[in-house]
Amino acid sequence: MKRRTFLKNTGLASAALFAPAFLQRPSLVTNGKILIVVQLSGGNDGLNTVIPYRNDKYYELRPDLAIARQDVLNLTDELGFNPSLEDLRPLYDQGHLSIINNVGYPNPDRSHFRSMDIWQTAANSNEYLTTGWLGRYLDSRCTGCDVPHHALEFGQGLSLALKGVDKRGFALNDIQQMARTNRNPLLRYLAQQDAHDHEHEQVAYLYKTLLETQSSTAYLLEKTEGKRTRANFPATPFGRDLRQVADLILAGSDTKIYYVSLGGFDTHANQAGPQGRLLSVYAEGMKALAEELQQHNLWQDTLVMTFSEFGRRVAQNGSRGTDHGAASNLFLMGGNLRQPGFYNEGPNLEDLLEGDLKYKVDFRQVYATVLDKWLAADAKSVIGKGFDGLGVL
Amino acid sequence: MSLRIKHLYQRAGFGLSPLEWQTKKSLSIPQAVDHLFQEADAATPLTVIDFEDLAETVTEDRRKAGRLLTQQYTLEWLDRMATPDESALLERLTLFWHDHFACRSVFGHLAIRQLHTLREHALGSFRDLCLAIARDPAMIRYLNNQQNKKNSPNENFARELLELFTIGPGNYTEQDIKEAARAFTGWGSTYKGEFRFRSGQHDYGTKTFMGQTGRFDGADIIDIILEQPATATFLVRKFWAYYVSAPADEDLIQSLSEQYLASDYNTGALLRSMFTADWFYAKEYQSQQIKSPVVLVSVLRRSLDISFNNPEAQLRLLRALGQSLFDPPNVAGWPGGRSWIDNATLMLRLNLGAGLLTKRELDLQFRDLPELEILSDPQTRKLDAEVNLQPLLALIDGNDLANDFQCLSDYLLATPARINIKDLAGLIDDTSGEERLRRMLLVILSSPEFQLS
Repeated sequence: MKRRTFLKNTGLASAALFAPAFLQRPSLVTNGKILIVVQLSGGNDGLNTVIPYRNDKYYELRPDLAIARQDVLNLTDELGFNPSLEDLRPLYDQGHLSIINNVGYPNPDRSHFRSMDIWQTAANSNEYLTTGWLGRYLDSRCTGCDVPHHALEFGQGLSLALKGVDKRGFALNDIQQMARTNRNPLLRYLAQQDAHDHEHEQVAYLYKTLLETQSSTAYLLEKTEGKRTRANFPATPFGRDLRQVADLILAGSDTKIYYVSLGGFDTHANQAGPQGRLLSVYAEGMKALAEELQQHNLWQDTLVMTFSEFGRRVAQNGSRGTDHGAASNLFLMGGNLRQPGFYNEGPNLEDLLEGDLKYKVDFRQVYATVLDKWLAADAKSVIGKGFDGLGVL
Repeated sequence: MSLRIKHLYQRAGFGLSPLEWQTKKSLSIPQAVDHLFQEADAATPLTVIDFEDLAETVTEDRRKAGRLLTQQYTLEWLDRMATPDESALLERLTLFWHDHFACRSVFGHLAIRQLHTLREHALGSFRDLCLAIARDPAMIRYLNNQQNKKNSPNENFARELLELFTIGPGNYTEQDIKEAARAFTGWGSTYKGEFRFRSGQHDYGTKTFMGQTGRFDGADIIDIILEQPATATFLVRKFWAYYVSAPADEDLIQSLSEQYLASDYNTGALLRSMFTADWFYAKEYQSQQIKSPVVLVSVLRRSLDISFNNPEAQLRLLRALGQSLFDPPNVAGWPGGRSWIDNATLMLRLNLGAGLLTKRELDLQFRDLPELEILSDPQTRKLDAEVNLQPLLALIDGNDLANDFQCLSDYLLATPARINIKDLAGLIDDTSGEERLRRMLLVILSSPEFQLS
């Protein structure tokens, strides 16, 4: 085909010209395991998620906001779910959910942005890292990977969590929409230009990223085209993201890390309604995801980790909401948990730090466990020394 | 010569409008640099407002009002960066300082006061600037100096002052941080946005800092830090990264550092000597810089003479591209360089010109925007803007495609795009006038090379 006629030609996507770069390539080694990270953005109120329903202090400090004892979905003699998490109940009963209480880090930061940064980079609170924990994981375990879709984030832009020194994950809102952008003939033309130009290192880098983006988009589209999972995912952006995750897992995509987020948890005022709605969107989504993957015998190879950048102040504030807090609970879900149920005891409301829960488990211990036990990585090289695993996986 | 002029304005400012390009491309470098500095001297200072006293309680409504005000100031700043009548040198340098003294400011009245301070001292003495920032209410709050008291020191500001703002790691001890923190005890601020020295909270005792002993206060600490040659070197390296954006030439770093120290940290003089030096225009330094999102948007606005029908959409766009002003990722600022680029930001960047030229909706769907209510407005998903291509038409003759494409590339690109325009003739051939120009621009603005300067 003559280049001159390129744009007039309707057969732009000629197979020979756009031979995808993904036919033969090294991929991420995880022993077949899949990790899905769910980020609850805005600071989810952990105390109204898993409720210490026997604790008088809880009811004393939250006269308007506490979940009434009779409404709590009891899990143990002490702790139970917010009624909006009803859909998680079967997962808990089947032993597919571990709840780790009091997760946090020393000298907690109460800014959303900074605390999220700390969680995503696995930094100390006085340390500023420019790479994320999963990005560094890609650096260590995906050295030969020449396409970025081994780690996929649904959202507007790539979170720091997925940025490494050399390797990065891939971010998109929607596979179909990304594919439409990808069909832009001008960008396809540009991606075919030879830019292996040593004099202009940055030029070569941009062209390489463009080409990788096109390869990965084509790959993800091919994997999911015409395929739709059957489970009942909620009709929300979060539900759509989880559906796309399920589609890709079912299709056997090379993607091993998925990153999705659900926002809106910054409930300073009139918290009960909004938090309840968000928790049910979350629980419905998790239920649908688990059912779909269980049906295809993939749930035992899947681990879902749900976290938020911080919990909230133990006492309610003056507007029936809660302010930014510190330690909170973290959920692990999957068909292959060594210690389902509660990993540790619930929060101590008598021993607070400036009105917030004290942490007992450093979140990096959870990361270390996930890296070592689930992702076949060396946690020390990714997040540094001194974080003992938890034995939960 | 025009290559050098283009390089100067792309690095020291935000590129040139078509009209500026025509009038300035034949200037000599010394003439152009003089121009840039004269414009900076003539710039109008920002207007700082006082906030009514918020007293003890800061309600959520007050916070929201503060955030909206910050967004308004952001838009005004973006206007200054894009407008040929303003001082590009000063705004670009203020952007440098905003990144250097990275600070998240939620209250608009504090944000504008800090920006005023950065801008006022931008080209002056770094000593004055550093002291002014140590007394700046937004910074005092951001780095917890408000909580730094004689009986319970908070080291946050002292630590970042040393690590990020002045001398850099490896040049001080943990004990130096503790002693410096003591010297800054009692440096607080009011909600009105005024510095307040709280003598009751200040530690008047003797401190030993970097080998010197005395009853130091914060200003003494800054003076001692600035005596260290390593401080000049640390700052020169940051200027190098921002303006040269290439691996450091150690001999040049050394001589620039000596000059900066000898001039008592006269930033304007340092930049003038960089911009007038021959090496600044060396081929290996050209087209090596990935435009930051703010620079990219400002260059586009200047080149296409854009007027926005919904300017707020710029805030959403900049967030999607990874650079929200007054909201850096952390106190270390934006990492910059290749970290601007991932698959999503690259595709957005490459499609941005086309979006503006064809009024296509840019799909910017965020999953979570805590404390950013203005961006929740669905109106901001679409960049609704008018471009004015008339000034650009004057750059081409409208007949020969290759020739016209060359003229536009010379104007817009720091390095020629990997495009053979004849391949794309089918896209342009049957058009004329503004539409023909629009299509040529579409090609150039979609090229990865446009992302560089």
